[in-house]
Amino acid sequence: MMGQFVWRNLFHRPVRTLIGVLAIAVEVMLVITIVGLTSGMLQETAKRIEGIGADIMVQPNSSTMFIGFTGAPMPIKIADKIQELKYVASVSPALLQFNTSGGVETIWGIDPVSFRQVSNGFVLLEGRDMQGPDDMLIDDWQAKAKHVKLGDTYPIFNHDWKVVGIVEHGKAGRIFVPISTLGALVGAHDKATIFLVKCTRPDHTDDVMAEIKELLPTNKVQPVKEYMSLMTSTNIPALQTFIHAMIALAVSIGLLVIFLSMYTTVLERTRDIGVLKSLGASNGLIVRALLAETTLLCLLGIFAGMGLSYAVRAGFLKLFPTLSILITPEWMIKAGLIAIIGALVGASYPALQATRKDAVEALAYD
Amino acid sequence: MGITVTIRTNSTENTEPELKTVEPILKVENVWKLYHAGKVEVPALRGVNLDVLPGEAVAVMGPSGCGKSSLLYVIGGLAKASRGKVLVDGNDLVTMTDGERTKLRRSKIGFVFQRFNLLPALSAKGNIAIAQYIHGDGFDPHRFEVVTKMLGLEGRLSHRPAEMSGGEQQRVAIARAIINEPKILLADEPTGNLDTKNSEIVLEMLRRLNKDLGQTVVMITHNPEATTYFDRVVHMRDGVIVDGVPAD
Repeated sequence: MMGQFVWRNLFHRPVRTLIGVLAIAVEVMLVITIVGLTSGMLQETAKRIEGIGADIMVQPNSSTMFIGFTGAPMPIKIADKIQELKYVASVSPALLQFNTSGGVETIWGIDPVSFRQVSNGFVLLEGRDMQGPDDMLIDDWQAKAKHVKLGDTYPIFNHDWKVVGIVEHGKAGRIFVPISTLGALVGAHDKATIFLVKCTRPDHTDDVMAEIKELLPTNKVQPVKEYMSLMTSTNIPALQTFIHAMIALAVSIGLLVIFLSMYTTVLERTRDIGVLKSLGASNGLIVRALLAETTLLCLLGIFAGMGLSYAVRAGFLKLFPTLSILITPEWMIKAGLIAIIGALVGASYPALQATRKDAVEALAYD
Repeated sequence: MGITVTIRTNSTENTEPELKTVEPILKVENVWKLYHAGKVEVPALRGVNLDVLPGEAVAVMGPSGCGKSSLLYVIGGLAKASRGKVLVDGNDLVTMTDGERTKLRRSKIGFVFQRFNLLPALSAKGNIAIAQYIHGDGFDPHRFEVVTKMLGLEGRLSHRPAEMSGGEQQRVAIARAIINEPKILLADEPTGNLDTKNSEIVLEMLRRLNKDLGQTVVMITHNPEATTYFDRVVHMRDGVIVDGVPAD
């Protein structure tokens, strides 16, 4: 009976119910999408680093997890010294430069030969590998995002690059140019941001790391697997703060909309509450009925929000193919729980107000 | 104190008639109800005394503002008397907490209102069934069938209040009020919003509930013709009962 009462009350005012459901759906979608966007970007970046196939990364001591922001302080000749070490199969320097004109992208300056040795080369979807100083390789997602075709000119750093090959995504970056040309353009001639080291066997990684640390005691030397595990939002305090702030904002929206919705519901149903009291309904029953209605509305909103998240993701990927939005069951459940808790908090005051209504006054309410 | 009623036995011998004491189902003793309008105290009831026996049908009449509705709400536990005693089936409502009055109302009192006060989202069946749910015994299909049949509601149970006439809505309200077999049925001008024909139907229903099922009924009315359906008419003025005579 209570279920029927709650269900029918919810659909007695379909527009108000729809607005409440939408508010919860947007709240859930915001949480899932924002967390998914940050996690997705981090994970996608980490996967691309893993996709190179290197075992060890050597960086300046001042480097952060965001490799593109490190600059290029290391002499490129360090690669030769690392190559001489035992169990080192190949070493490839890379110069990473951040570009903000026409978008936000990280340009990878690589030595095609050594990069091929470390990574087993690119999977070419169209065209050929880099040969000339102005050749550029671009991955398929970037090509789609920027509407770039084979043979197009791609201007970066006031220099016209020629797109000679489109490669499969998932390896290092999205845009590759010769390291020597890039170094000359950005004033980092013969410099590198990172050295990618391939060991003769993966189980030699620790030995090689020890040797490199002895050779370069002031540099940061870490296995690629460790870098992968660090690329989560929990390891980036500022990102965690951002996520928490966005979740708080989303919850506030949901809470306020539910509060307003239930407040007007209680006001509109003043006489109904009087009737229930005249029938002998306890305060507990009245509160349970209102909170049950809120929970049901919230559940509808949660499912709508999950669907909306997938729709938003599809929309984003259509507009921005290089974006990665990771939707996980864990965060879908968390978003749902956050929504329910926020909604119940928002509905609790109106529910308590309902119990405090004088029955006689409530019955006379128009 | 109970009222002494003389019951004559069927004995063929010359024996003394057997006397039985019948306690009133409702006893209102010197009840005052004061409302506060800012700093001003407005007495709605001023020392009201009223006894109602089980199975009695009592009509309460009086001009607007004389305290009829206040008396009804105090008897029904929806409002608390400021002073005095209100004994419903032996339970003094004045000494009870709000929760205790709610519990008593759930099991012993049924209300019928002038404006029907049905829940708009529920069907007629839902409006009646919710009273059973609140009572705590769950849906009793047999009792439900008996009551709805008696009130002629069989064909209207799936309709919502907005789809029913005033008379039908009031019959649903009566069904809701009596579904849990309350000790007292309190009716606040149940025919106030009805036309003559539907008023007669509703009054006849209340009369049958009283005569056929022994339901105790206390009804507020402005309608002098309604008093013909009742055993006793009580007149109120300015918060007091001025007289209470048997109906003609």
